[in-house]
Amino acid sequence: MDNPQGKSDRLAIWIAVLTALVSLTTALAAWRTAALGSTAGDLIYQGMLNAVKKQAVANEDWRQAYQEAGYARDYLVFLNGLLIRENSTDPATQEQAAQLRTYLLPGMKSLATPLGTDPVYFTTGGLLNVQKRFNDLEKQSSDLSSLDPQASFSQSDNYYAEQRWLVVGTILIAVSLFWLGLSQLSHLRPRVLILVLGIIVYGVGLVWCLGVEVIFFFLRGGVL
Amino acid sequence: MNPSGNSNPERGKTLVLLLTLLNMVLVATISALQVDVTVRSNQANRDSQYYAIQVTGSLVQTGAQSEFDLNTYSKWLADTQQSLVAGYSALQRHLANDQAGYERLTLESLIFQAQADQAKTLSVLLTDPAYAPASDQASPNISAYYADINANSVALVQKQNDASDAYHRWNNKSDSYVAVLTVLAIAFFLLGVAQMSQPNIRLLFSAFATGVISIGFIWTLIILIF
Repeated sequence: MDNPQGKSDRLAIWIAVLTALVSLTTALAAWRTAALGSTAGDLIYQGMLNAVKKQAVANEDWRQAYQEAGYARDYLVFLNGLLIRENSTDPATQEQAAQLRTYLLPGMKSLATPLGTDPVYFTTGGLLNVQKRFNDLEKQSSDLSSLDPQASFSQSDNYYAEQRWLVVGTILIAVSLFWLGLSQLSHLRPRVLILVLGIIVYGVGLVWCLGVEVIFFFLRGGVL
Repeated sequence: MNPSGNSNPERGKTLVLLLTLLNMVLVATISALQVDVTVRSNQANRDSQYYAIQVTGSLVQTGAQSEFDLNTYSKWLADTQQSLVAGYSALQRHLANDQAGYERLTLESLIFQAQADQAKTLSVLLTDPAYAPASDQASPNISAYYADINANSVALVQKQNDASDAYHRWNNKSDSYVAVLTVLAIAFFLLGVAQMSQPNIRLLFSAFATGVISIGFIWTLIILIF
């Protein structure tokens, strides 16, 4: 036959068990919240590394494109002068032009290729299309130039968003811990009422956290 | 003498519990706010660094571009001057009845002129109406040229500065929230002491805790508003 003291003791045991469970859940939720922030930070770090690599390649490609543009300019300018020499009526000048075309021009042309020799690299206004040459160089180094830092940043934003929402659930669970502790310590008559309130808050917090996890799991395409 | 003042050891405990609950709600809310501003701070810091990387890239590009364009203009200028000098010298040799010198210098003038013509077609400073000289005696509009090619870098620097300012703003808020949480932790301690104390002392500690909670609350409002 149960007496009031026995009921109170059993309730105290259940509250203790529940408090332990909620403490564990709080710890798990806090760990997950911190882990989300850490993952977001890692993605930012990865994005920064990719941004540096991508920019380093772009810098090198711009340098090379304009270096080639300089060679192309020198070649085209020299070629125009050479044509005047070749069209000269002076035999000595013609001979000099032939020697230049044979021995000097090939080397200059080699350096100026393809920017100064391929018509696709000229704009309709006659300028060298350095941008197109840069684009082609970027395609050649696509393993680095195709790195996408923004993709990492978007992912980090997603993890940060989940962290924000999960904090709310973690706080709810932590608040329920307070109520459970209060019901354990309290000798007030509404002890059971306080306990029920704690369980409700805990349930809301737990459902909230699980809901946030599930929603963001699907938003990330099945990635935790 | 009224013995009820000290005879009820539970007096004031409900007040302490309510204050503890209030403090907990405040701590929970500020914790959420602290996480939020920390996230914003991290994102602004990330944007600031990313824009800084892009600025360096933009400066590398414009440096290479301006070097090429100015060298091309310089090449045109030198060839044009040499063509003019050779042509003038040819005329001098012609006046001196030196036909061979005249022909050699005329050819030289033509060669330099042809080279200058080609350099001109490759020079954005001489062909783009935005920068090209209005007359043969005028110079290209170098200021406009530099303003245009540096426009992207300037815009990126502005974005970088804005992001950096945002980072400092959010980071300061985050630090302030941590300070408020520390203050509220003191309130928790005071309330704990109050709960364990004699009724009269309990009320005193409760008053101290209420003061500390009020400071934390007002501080939070100030952080939120400014």
